[in-house]
Amino acid sequence: MADVGQEEDFEAARQKALLVGAKSVHIHDLREQFVEKIIWPCIQSNATYENDYLLGTSLARPVITAAQIAVAKAEGCDFVSHGCTGKGNDQVRFELGYYALQPSIKVISPWRIPAFYERFAGRQALLDYAELKGIPVAQTKAKPWSTDENLYHISFEAGILEDPDVTPPADMWKLTVDPATAPAQGESIAIDFVNGIPVSVENLSDKTVVGSADKPAPLDVFLYLNALGRRNGIGRIDIVENRFIGIKSRGCYETPGGTILLKAHKDLEGLTMDREVRKLRDELSFKYAHLLYNGLYFTPETKMILDMVKASQTNVSGRVRLSLRQGNVTILGRKALEPKKCLYNSELASMDSSLSDAGSGWGFDPTASEGFIKTISMRIRLWSAQQEQPPTL
Amino acid sequence: MSPKRKSSSKRPSAPATPKSASPAPAAAPAPATAAAPKSAASKGRVCLAYSGGLDTSCILAWLIDEGYEVVAFMADVGQEEDFEAARQKALLVGAKSVHIHDLREQFVEKIIWPCIQSNATYENDYLLGTSLARPVITAAQIAVAKAEGCDFVSHGCTGKGNDQVRFELGYYALQPSIKVISPWRIPAFYERFAGRQALLDYAAQKGIPVAQTKAKPWSTDENLYHISFEAGILEDPDVTPPADMWKLTVDPATAPAQGESIAIDFVNGIPVSVENLSDKTVVGSADKPAPLDVFLYLNTLGRRNGIGRIDIVENRFIGIKSRGCYETPGGTILLKAHKDLEGLTMDREVRKLRDELSFKYAHLLYNGLYFTPETKMILDMVKASQTNVSGRVRLSLRQGNVTILGRKALEPKKCLYNSELASMDSSLSDAGSGWGFDPTASEGFIKTISMRIRLWSAQQEQPPTL
Repeated sequence: MADVGQEEDFEAARQKALLVGAKSVHIHDLREQFVEKIIWPCIQSNATYENDYLLGTSLARPVITAAQIAVAKAEGCDFVSHGCTGKGNDQVRFELGYYALQPSIKVISPWRIPAFYERFAGRQALLDYAELKGIPVAQTKAKPWSTDENLYHISFEAGILEDPDVTPPADMWKLTVDPATAPAQGESIAIDFVNGIPVSVENLSDKTVVGSADKPAPLDVFLYLNALGRRNGIGRIDIVENRFIGIKSRGCYETPGGTILLKAHKDLEGLTMDREVRKLRDELSFKYAHLLYNGLYFTPETKMILDMVKASQTNVSGRVRLSLRQGNVTILGRKALEPKKCLYNSELASMDSSLSDAGSGWGFDPTASEGFIKTISMRIRLWSAQQEQPPTL
Repeated sequence: MSPKRKSSSKRPSAPATPKSASPAPAAAPAPATAAAPKSAASKGRVCLAYSGGLDTSCILAWLIDEGYEVVAFMADVGQEEDFEAARQKALLVGAKSVHIHDLREQFVEKIIWPCIQSNATYENDYLLGTSLARPVITAAQIAVAKAEGCDFVSHGCTGKGNDQVRFELGYYALQPSIKVISPWRIPAFYERFAGRQALLDYAAQKGIPVAQTKAKPWSTDENLYHISFEAGILEDPDVTPPADMWKLTVDPATAPAQGESIAIDFVNGIPVSVENLSDKTVVGSADKPAPLDVFLYLNTLGRRNGIGRIDIVENRFIGIKSRGCYETPGGTILLKAHKDLEGLTMDREVRKLRDELSFKYAHLLYNGLYFTPETKMILDMVKASQTNVSGRVRLSLRQGNVTILGRKALEPKKCLYNSELASMDSSLSDAGSGWGFDPTASEGFIKTISMRIRLWSAQQEQPPTL
């Protein structure tokens, strides 16, 4: 069992597995590596999928598969198995992970085995089998939807959500309070980043400080951001997305801490990151989001992209202040950690003066814009002059 | 001086299609419908993009001092403006004629609608409001310049901003032989008018009426799509904009607590109607397009629910960063609704390709490269991507939040979502004509994809790590 931050009674589950007949039970707390190794690089990339899905389920799979394969090796297992359906993304994510981590591993995927899925064609057949085998069942009544939870997010799909025109019931949402009923005054926070990684959070309203640059506490920092997001109703989305196996599905997601971090991180990059680095990295992040979503984490192309993302982050250090209120994440201000990390120059930006000094005898000369525009326009003028008619709107 | 009026009471009487060159009765100049000959002493005739403000009024006077004949051109792109007062002012300063064109409907139909179809955003989700207006303005300005026999066009953009590039690349594309006078890049001009006081002194000397001598603490640019705020106190990126700066939208914290629910109908990615599910107002219909009404109503909805504010530091085309605040109420609602409907109706790979092009389009538009062959090509492809994007999206608008309530396609054939196939309740699923989903196919799919990865992994010294 992987503890990736889902709410779970792990000891009860251990007992249950032993009762059913497991030879041994391994439970690994993967939360800190989930934050450090997977979530932090994802924040550095700003990766989102389609209608701004923040990839919470796909982010957890690499930590889970890596730990599962390690246990399989330690226990001398020739096979690994999982409970993913045959029509979802997760079977792909798990299995591509397994095969990358141990190319010779063999995989048993019951929900793709006709003898299994024909026998257990519905929930009742599973309940009957459980009773036959003396497996304790917590609740016989099915939830009206399916969920997957980890410390980054929760997902809801299936059941009544399968109609994309049905509004999710108010009581479905689990992690976040309803934005409409979150505290009216909200709260203000400051997040400090070093090289694109959040190192501390200060609550400007109540003075709580979590983490520091000198003593990294990634799990505490992330969990605190989650707590802030949750109580202010931040991070809900409802989308129809394209699965890797070729069908669309409707899903609702709550990503409280991640939503805050994405906004703060992007904002700080506006202040500190070079324009063309930003453009290149954004193109790669788009690809990374798809690779991650499709389960292609343990691949050479993902490694290459993440190395480049990391390289893009060397200046992204500073403090971003935000207001959190009833679903809204609002930027209050930002500053770089030190002047050398800031590419914003207020003297040059200012509209108050035409000539501007960047500080060492060179600066901005508006007459340069003349040549810039003339040069760019050359190609366009040549093209336009060749058209039968001038371009139109 | 009178405060800014609601623009609806001061619309020029010109119809939606452009053409209004008639001066006010009090002024002498004859209507200029044909290019009148230039006077012998003139250095040439200039069509100036005139705003009615201090800068362009001074530029107008200065161009005349420099020996040009000046035709003033004003574009109504939805900014709050007393156009008739500006007309009078331009004539008073000495403009040969004043042309005011109502460009709002073409702004929505020709520029905003395709932008919504593309979902284009720039960097920290700037919705491109200023850059979107420039093509309509430059196209109309060049048309006036041609009609009035102007060899020159001029504008009041600074020499360190994006807009000079946007205007001028537009001018040169629309008329390659045009000549451009950009005062804020001319040392004789910008050294003389080195600060606001110098402009005020010149205005006083020239008898140019000035609305307010005290400078605003920031600079704004407004059109029907958005308003931008920059400069002044905003030049410190760590200063929070004062609450009273924001203009178009109410403070989300004080917007009505109950919010409201709406439904937007799209046909081929274009919004054709909006229904207010709370009070039953309906604006627009598929049969009788009313693009301007539809867009203005979405703005109204966004404004009163505090939707669409952003505060960012962005990279300008001329190589420096600047801090800007923006309010894009209707556009913010539309972007969310349109993207959502695409989730239901658009093929995955079409979505991916179009998204990559939209990223490029956002940069082209931001940088002023609208009238270019590459932009045309991208927009043709964006339009082609939209053939299925028809349906109804329901949304809740409340205190800054835009929340999806549900969506449905206009007709079954436009919907690529198949709930039978998606359902986790059954392993085998029928797509409806004897073919469907067979989970054993996933086995072969995964095995095939994994082949390359297994081969690569087997060659590494160590297995891959997190």
